[in-house]
Amino acid sequence: MTASVSTADLSAQTGARRLASLRRVDLAGLVITVATLLGAIFWAFPLYWGLVTTFKPEYEVVRPGVALWPAHFTLENYGHVLLETKIGLWYINSLITSGAVTVIVVMMAASAGYAISQLDFPFRRYFWWMILASFMVPIPALIVNHFILMSQFRLINTLAGVVGPQLIAPVTVIIYKQFFDSVPKDFREAAVMDGASEFQLLFRIYLPMNWGITTALAIITFIGAWNLFLWPFLAVSSEDLMNITVGITQVHDAFGVQYARDLAVAMLAALPVALVYLIFQRRVTQAIMLSAGIKG
Amino acid sequence: MFKSKRSEYFTAAVLMAPFVVIYGVLFVYPTIKMVEQSLTNAPLIGPGKWVGFDNYFRLASDRLFSVAIWNTLYFVVLSVIPSTLLALVVALGVNRLKGWMQSVVLAAFFLPYILPVSVVFRIWSWIFDKDFGIAQYAIAPFNDGNSLSIFRTIPLFMPAVAFVTVWWLLGFNVLLFIAGLRNISSEIYEAAGLDGASRFTQFRRITWPLIWPVTVLVFTIQLILQLKIFDQVYLFAQGGRVDATMVMVQYIYKQAFQMNKGGLADAAAVVLFLLIVVLSVLQFQLLRARGVR
Amino acid sequence: MSAAPVETGDAAAPHVELRRVTKRYGPVTAISDLSLTVDKGSFTALLGPSGCGKSTLLRMIAGLEAITAGQCFIDGVDVSDMPPAQRRIAMVFQSYALYPHMTVRQNIAFSLSVAGQPKKVQNERALEVARILQLEPFLDRRPAELSGGQRQRVAIGRALVRKPEAFLFDEPLSNLDAKLRVQMRFELAKLHADLGTTMVYVTHDQTEAMTLADKIVVLDKGVISQVGSPLELYNAPANKFVAAFIGSPSMNFFGVDIAAISGRTATVVLPGGRTVEIGVTTGAGARSAELGVRPEHLTVVDPRDPAAAFAGKVAIIEHLGSSTILYVETPVGQLVVEGEGDLAAKSGETIGLRLNQNHARLFGVTGATL
Repeated sequence: MTASVSTADLSAQTGARRLASLRRVDLAGLVITVATLLGAIFWAFPLYWGLVTTFKPEYEVVRPGVALWPAHFTLENYGHVLLETKIGLWYINSLITSGAVTVIVVMMAASAGYAISQLDFPFRRYFWWMILASFMVPIPALIVNHFILMSQFRLINTLAGVVGPQLIAPVTVIIYKQFFDSVPKDFREAAVMDGASEFQLLFRIYLPMNWGITTALAIITFIGAWNLFLWPFLAVSSEDLMNITVGITQVHDAFGVQYARDLAVAMLAALPVALVYLIFQRRVTQAIMLSAGIKG
Repeated sequence: MFKSKRSEYFTAAVLMAPFVVIYGVLFVYPTIKMVEQSLTNAPLIGPGKWVGFDNYFRLASDRLFSVAIWNTLYFVVLSVIPSTLLALVVALGVNRLKGWMQSVVLAAFFLPYILPVSVVFRIWSWIFDKDFGIAQYAIAPFNDGNSLSIFRTIPLFMPAVAFVTVWWLLGFNVLLFIAGLRNISSEIYEAAGLDGASRFTQFRRITWPLIWPVTVLVFTIQLILQLKIFDQVYLFAQGGRVDATMVMVQYIYKQAFQMNKGGLADAAAVVLFLLIVVLSVLQFQLLRARGVR
Repeated sequence: MSAAPVETGDAAAPHVELRRVTKRYGPVTAISDLSLTVDKGSFTALLGPSGCGKSTLLRMIAGLEAITAGQCFIDGVDVSDMPPAQRRIAMVFQSYALYPHMTVRQNIAFSLSVAGQPKKVQNERALEVARILQLEPFLDRRPAELSGGQRQRVAIGRALVRKPEAFLFDEPLSNLDAKLRVQMRFELAKLHADLGTTMVYVTHDQTEAMTLADKIVVLDKGVISQVGSPLELYNAPANKFVAAFIGSPSMNFFGVDIAAISGRTATVVLPGGRTVEIGVTTGAGARSAELGVRPEHLTVVDPRDPAAAFAGKVAIIEHLGSSTILYVETPVGQLVVEGEGDLAAKSGETIGLRLNQNHARLFGVTGATL
């Protein structure tokens, strides 16, 4: 073996090897990316498939074969659902109850979060520990006693009864408290020097400085209330008062199973929250990460 | 800070009032009542006689209750472990993407989480439909060419519901993992790359240990969440042998609202509560301890 | 050691007064039995290092800290139990604390809005203040869009609009870069000259205190070290702490023996043998002391000059243009010497130092000036 391998040769060899390994790394990276994209397609497919089925006439739906796009695009399923079911009523019910829950929870949580964060009053510690402890108690375990309580107030089968137990929101209070804690003391002192009362501090300084978090919490509370199944299912027996999540499970056609229509009514139920998510994606993401952080 | 004590207390009272009222009436009171009533033989509505721990003994000997506990735990194992691990894998993939492609892909994984459970139920009962569901094309070859009603086949019920649940909730976990991955400075990976570490080594020695706290968090949240399962199981079991696939909250529901046994239902609820507390504390400690190796 | 305020002649009641105040945080006593007065229309600086209690005192005047014992008077009224908003004072914070979600106009008018003043009045007063501080073009901007100096002016404007009895400043210039600091110092001085309102100013920077204040209260660990005008503190420091803290570059100190004291003169033996005569006011019986001499009172001479107090080797030279700073290694340690801008000296050179004995001071064991 000659010892006269020139330095140029050596560096050329190393260079080539490095280039090859780079390419190899890229290949693995490419595979991962492709796999992720395929995964996303697979994940989105069920929703797509449900959606596309709603645009097919029923005879097409029950035909053998997989048609990824309707041969006959139709809106008749939606038409039927909108006209023949109580979906309009259910939308309104959902809107009312979800809206009420959102407004009440946000106001209550902001006030309580502020008080615990900024004020000093007796039993403050105990309230805080109570809130933290309440995580462990599962709300579904309380359904029996919520039902008893609501019936004592004669609120079973009313929208107010649906709203009631949903107002328990320890996570929201905790998030507000933490955000209010993080407002630098300087702002508070400056506002106090300017003569602001505690209420003015809350509404003109602390809340406006945390507007983003209020929006995020409101959106996530709304979505949660809209999607709730168990409690509204228990609390309401008359179809007229159902919220939409419960209502669509009660749709039974007199003519046997109508796949496209069942799916159409489901799609209509999902539409508002899906839209809210797509529009407010960032806020929803933020709210979820916050609430998860609290639970950890 | 100089403040007058009286006005501070008054302001605090006003601000805390809504929370105290709501919390007291809708949480503290029912919780106490739940424990109290579990010691009576009350029906759903109305008072009952004190029976001590009688209800709990009944639960212990009720086969349906043990089935419910077993099913719940079975379901938790089937759904929590895959959804945690799969979410990490997905998060690793999604994290590599950039810009609008990442947004779209993330939305694809996350959108199901936003859907109400009844919508998820409709979509998947359609996909798995015995006669016309698209999944039958994949199932039939395994079943001698015949279509199969997945949710009516008892051994397949839980796995199928777990599968649907994973599809439904994965996005939530993926989100948390992505946040955790983003917290790992890219410089660490660059240094490892310069040191010649392969992709797999990088994952094993850097990513996995650093993402461990998030993994524990996701696992804990999912565990507590899935122990309270009701909606999907109830919906998919409709029309079938409900008792065989019953879960704990379903048992509570049945005893209270179908058998009119309020006290017994509350006893079951207390058991569920204790189960959650014990399991989540145990699991948290175990996983945390392992992470400190 | 609480010195009585060294005021000449003024018999009028002080504008702001802390009378025998004590501040305790649980078991820790930060300030004990301290009294200080601020005269109407004066610019009084509370000067001292971190932790000396100057901010605490300011905040007690403001009402942001409770006074554990003692009283606070503003314009003769006992405000010790009054909430801050009623004390008719305004404060400018170190971080400015401008409300980020409000415009400059809203920031300035906030106290008026809180008081329920009609919009018209709010806008008028805000405009008035903005004119004084040259903030008119920024009235509709948010704080995030402003520079540091502009933000500071908004903070001052917020205080100004309340037409307070006194302004309280808590280290307002610390967040600015050096050049801006000089400029804002000038603006603050001008503001005081224009308005004539009492200003109480907390700082750790002796330059700021010296240039802005007409009365400085030097604080050391919760105790008043000395009160006086800038020149008084500079030329006649009551103790070593004040002497060391005031003046930049700071005073040189080294130990000396006292050969004899007769009347108001002490004969001091310098290390190296030479003797000098230093004026004293007390100290009969002291055998040794510390001698303090400012860098500008040491002159560079030929090392063989008989008038030289020591000889030393130049270690480092700093050329500032208007002056030259020399760090000289001498038998008594490193001495800092300040000379003319065109001082010729080379690193490593051996020089002699002459001491201006009229400006040297002796400090006893306790630190007090002899």
